Amino acid sequence: MSGNSEIKLTVLRGVYEDNVGIPRSSHGKGRSRFLAASPDSRQRPGYKGKAVLLVLLGLVALLGINFRLVKVDGAGPAAMQLLEKQSLKFPLEPVPVLAVPGDDLILLDSDPPASLESVGALKDAGLTAGHYDAMLSGLGMPMADLFNLEVQTIVIDPGHGGRDPGATGHRGLKEKDVVLDIARRLRDKLAISGKYRILLTREEDRKVFLKERVAFAKQNRADLFISIHINSVPAEAGSLNYVETYYFGAHTDQRSLDLAEKENHDSDYAMGDFREVIARIGDTLKTEESRELAGSIHKRLYSNLKRRDRDLVDAGFKTGPFMVLLGVEVPSVLVEVSCISSNAEEARLNIPEYRDSIADFLKTGIVEYLEQRTYRNPIERGKTQHVAKQER
Amino acid sequence: MSPSKKDSMLYIGIDLGTSRSVVSASNGNRKWVDSYIGWPKDFVAKKMLGKRVLFGSEALEHRLALNLSRPLQNGVLKEGTERDEAAVQELIGHLIELADVGQDNEICVAVGVPAEALKVNKTAIKNAISQHAKKLMVVSEPFSVAYGLGALDNAMIVDIGAGTVDFCIMHGTVPMEEDQRSILLAGDYVDEQLLKLLCEKHPEANFSLNMVRRFKEKHGFVGEPKRRIKIEAPVDGKFTQFDITEEMRKACESPMPAIVETVVDLIASFDPEFQENVRKNIIVAGGGSQLSGLDSYLNEATKQFEPCTFTCINDPLYAGADGALALASDMPEEFLEKL
Repeated sequence: MSGNSEIKLTVLRGVYEDNVGIPRSSHGKGRSRFLAASPDSRQRPGYKGKAVLLVLLGLVALLGINFRLVKVDGAGPAAMQLLEKQSLKFPLEPVPVLAVPGDDLILLDSDPPASLESVGALKDAGLTAGHYDAMLSGLGMPMADLFNLEVQTIVIDPGHGGRDPGATGHRGLKEKDVVLDIARRLRDKLAISGKYRILLTREEDRKVFLKERVAFAKQNRADLFISIHINSVPAEAGSLNYVETYYFGAHTDQRSLDLAEKENHDSDYAMGDFREVIARIGDTLKTEESRELAGSIHKRLYSNLKRRDRDLVDAGFKTGPFMVLLGVEVPSVLVEVSCISSNAEEARLNIPEYRDSIADFLKTGIVEYLEQRTYRNPIERGKTQHVAKQER
Repeated sequence: MSPSKKDSMLYIGIDLGTSRSVVSASNGNRKWVDSYIGWPKDFVAKKMLGKRVLFGSEALEHRLALNLSRPLQNGVLKEGTERDEAAVQELIGHLIELADVGQDNEICVAVGVPAEALKVNKTAIKNAISQHAKKLMVVSEPFSVAYGLGALDNAMIVDIGAGTVDFCIMHGTVPMEEDQRSILLAGDYVDEQLLKLLCEKHPEANFSLNMVRRFKEKHGFVGEPKRRIKIEAPVDGKFTQFDITEEMRKACESPMPAIVETVVDLIASFDPEFQENVRKNIIVAGGGSQLSGLDSYLNEATKQFEPCTFTCINDPLYAGADGALALASDMPEEFLEKL
């Protein structure tokens, strides 16, 4: 058989194997050096690997190292691959991965970095003036617990859409598309528990004014509101990649103000509306719970994404004057999950598994916040926050 | 499968593109259609149009009466949108009809799809095709182009489509994920840029996305213009002539830095011993390859790195479908049997 015919047959066999789902049996010469360097790097660990990891886990437990377990639901081989790639990429900071039957992954998640505490993240919003302060200081417990408020409906808000693309990467990836994809994945992950009604402010690529987003949350009696966005920085800032999470309040710095101005653009709010919503700033319950939620999401998002990009900057969780957060009457946060102006980050955002991981980290943060609330107040609760809000 | 059965089988190659979809069959039929599918909005529209579903230019023409879908916008099936999955199913059925399949013929279909859709929506696309054919294969568009041209080893395909530009290095086997890249700065992006530039320069004129797409397809170029480009657009209802040479150049060149960067980057990630061979054999396919002056522009642009040789193919419209047809026809019986 001539060389050309052999190549053709190899190619046809490859097409056949791809289409019937058989793992590829041969590889081309062009990639041989990569394959030789890491022959198993694209495969899931076998039973031997799992056993070794189990033993390692046992040792870790015996040594009393302060790890927590975070389950990554539904992580399949692709997620495993991504994690493995990362652990290869950063040999000094390996991600301990425990493979368990059923294709799920468990990340051994050490304490969040100390830097998280040092960014002024817990800085008070300065909004709880007057009698709110007095009342709260006397309570000694969160107000949501005092009123036995339960979360039933979560509204996820993928930013921008339609003729408003949001930030655009150097290779054309648009914020509106990425955040919609992450929002859909987050909805699916949160819906698995069956405990919550999860709604999206937009299901497709269409323009939704900020006012409509707020109205949607109200109409659907939202108990939590999560707005998802992606940052970008001017070209001079180079390949900067950072995450930050906001809840409504007085601005913390000029950059937050600038960002809020950008995200508030095209809000469709009139000045009269603005005055009305400003009057709600003293909404202590919302601020307090929003801060808790922002902290939980941000901590989980940053600590996990840092493993994928060791240059990732933690811009903290903080207050910012975002219209969409101000208008919504229940705990609400705006998460800037990534920075699309970084070429490397844009390439990562283009990978479905990476977007899925971001959705996973957001979900973990939200679930931890919800679980923490349950722990704080385990008694039977009957009202949703929205209902209580209406009654007050 | 008996040899006679293989001989009696009708082979169909389909290029399921973001902008246009093309079919090429072993009975000699070759057809194309704009990738638009429309269902009448209500019973009035249905009665007026007299059809359950409309395709291509006919769907565009009656778009106001239709729920219109362009299922592979941005190179992927939009996740969770049943309408787009149904649209792919309808489109595949329509293309097979265009191939004029006899009632009794068993058919084998190979479909080339944008590289990103292959990664993200392979199952959905296979499901859509399986409604019409039992023997089916789904491959990436650049790969089917490469197969059709016989560029199976030491070559790179740059497929400039409407939704994505797909890059694929061929090295004697089916390309793996690391052999392929996609960027979103493609034909649709050029249209958006051109529309923006024209609206900025001539705010008094009315331009639409469809109009600027037609201008681009007729006059698109990169590098030095061969002649001035003059078009007509309505101003207050009256057609007026405009010179759009500079805007056309700017818009058409807007994705070039990203294309050059991706080519250089992908070659750099390849085995160094074979990089030189690939650099000398870069084939540009897809609708975007028809931009006038493209090959010399890209040859010039890569000079600052290691020089590359780009060649634009002659028949970009049918190259993907013809390649898919060749793939289906060449598939050995032993494999075909088990598909």
